[in-house]
Amino acid sequence: MTNQVNPFILADGKKPSCMEMLQLILDGEASAEQQAYFKSHMDKCAPCFKTYDLDITIKELLKTRCCGDSVPAGLVDQIKNQISLNKAS
Amino acid sequence: MEEAPKQSYTPTEKNDIFNNEFLPHINSMYNFGYRLTFDQDDAKDLVQDTYLKAYRFIESFQQGTNAKAWLFRILKNSFINDYRKKTKEPSKVDYQEVETYYNSEEVDRQITPDLRVESLKDMIGDEISNALNSLDVDFRTVIILCDLEGFKYEEMAKILDIPIGTVRSRLHRARNLLKEKLSQHAKSMGYKNTEL
Repeated sequence: MTNQVNPFILADGKKPSCMEMLQLILDGEASAEQQAYFKSHMDKCAPCFKTYDLDITIKELLKTRCCGDSVPAGLVDQIKNQISLNKAS
Repeated sequence: MEEAPKQSYTPTEKNDIFNNEFLPHINSMYNFGYRLTFDQDDAKDLVQDTYLKAYRFIESFQQGTNAKAWLFRILKNSFINDYRKKTKEPSKVDYQEVETYYNSEEVDRQITPDLRVESLKDMIGDEISNALNSLDVDFRTVIILCDLEGFKYEEMAKILDIPIGTVRSRLHRARNLLKEKLSQHAKSMGYKNTEL
């Protein structure tokens, strides 16, 4: 595993930082190969291991705490009425 | 976003698209509008304006493509062109600074070593929401699009008219700023706890 080529290396040859790799994993933007590499990387990199848990928790909390509000009652009807008025004019 | 060839829809097809592809996203749209403006009436106006525009330009929408991303893009543009001009709120983000930050060695710096999963889970009220709301609008926006709404980087780039590299760097910076806010809050919780 130690000699495995890092699949995160960019076309220009630049080696991505831990945080750049972590972000791609976190956002579901990593390929299967990159995911496998990062999984094995986390076994050797304590900061990544710790930050991964923290970042996943924040992402989940954002989703559960900051979504779910419903649109005010009547807005959908208001929009539909306005569209009908625009059509008629 | 690239120009799609104009479609031709019958009135019934237009209504079907509007009801089945556009309206299901209205709660997300309202949340986005509210988190941009922090005002219920302004959020309602932004959402209404977005849906009226979407209907007016429905023939430039190709059925089965990403309606949600298209609607978010319209709302974001309405916010920038109408609301922001009205309130004269300039963007406070220095993007050059952001790019420099992202490309520097500092990128791996652990800025919040004292922020723990346990302290986050103890935040049971509006702390997370308040921390998000305290970010500058451009940083707030990328977190809303990515973490609340689940857009991919490519979709975010199209919604925001910026390159994918900028999406990534802005998101990275936004998350660090959010962690700083949460860390400050965690410290204040700890301080209060020791006082009790």
